[in-house]
Amino acid sequence: MENNNLSSGERKLQCSDVSKCFQLLESILDGELGEEGKDLLKQKLEKCQPCFEHFHLEQAIREVLKTKCTKQPLPEKLADSIRQMIHDVR
Amino acid sequence: MSEVQRRKYSQEEKTSIFDGEFMPHIDSMYNFAFRLTFDEDDAKDLVQDTYMKAFRFINSFEQGTNAKAWLFRILKNSFINEYRKKSKQPAKVDYQEVETFYNSDDVDYQSTTDLRAESVKDMLGDEISNALNALAVDFRTVIILADLEGFTYEEMAKILDIPIGTVRSRLHRARNLLKDKLKGYAQSMGYNTDEEEE
Repeated sequence: MENNNLSSGERKLQCSDVSKCFQLLESILDGELGEEGKDLLKQKLEKCQPCFEHFHLEQAIREVLKTKCTKQPLPEKLADSIRQMIHDVR
Repeated sequence: MSEVQRRKYSQEEKTSIFDGEFMPHIDSMYNFAFRLTFDEDDAKDLVQDTYMKAFRFINSFEQGTNAKAWLFRILKNSFINEYRKKSKQPAKVDYQEVETFYNSDDVDYQSTTDLRAESVKDMLGDEISNALNALAVDFRTVIILADLEGFTYEEMAKILDIPIGTVRSRLHRARNLLKDKLKGYAQSMGYNTDEEEE
């Protein structure tokens, strides 16, 4: 589990500060760091296997959430009934 | 009273703001309401109620600002004030329990890293939705706002009336809880999650 195995190219297999790195990766994924975030991300992903894996997992979860959890069908008459209510109070 | 609140829109302006800036968000609003209440009728009432309030307080909405965030804030407050108390779920208890647990230490980064991106992508059924629904309401809410609706930390801070730092840490905890649940599904689906203990 240490470093005898370099199957992941040149990335280090242990992250020295998981806590800080993962929080940073999440902020980048959330779009909070802008352009600066993109450079930082590139550096991290090139160098660190745990960061690389964490990033891809987080990204996959966000994608699946977005495609699977946003399609609650709107009840047919809801929009009309809201417009009607607003019309009535006016 | 701020300047914003004193402004009065004409009847025409109100209609145009309501139709042009408020109504386009109805799908997101309903999705949010449904994921808070888990009930179609309650979700409908909550959305209707929110739009009525939005219209009543339309003079405090500043045109050109983020209408979606403004509406979500009203919906979330209505939910807390009216729906949460009549709902059966013991949200507060759950929440404190997990928050204490996750505050206890540097958050368990390691235990969640053994879930793999591939197994998440292969979840084609309702696993992710069920996992989200199983979270306590405060955790569920931040994930909905960030990942489903794409709000920024700053917008979320305003919607939820909490500091940005709290948004960030609550979101992080929420995601860890979600990953724990997904890991459970992945295991039951027979994916290798590199589990060494448990």
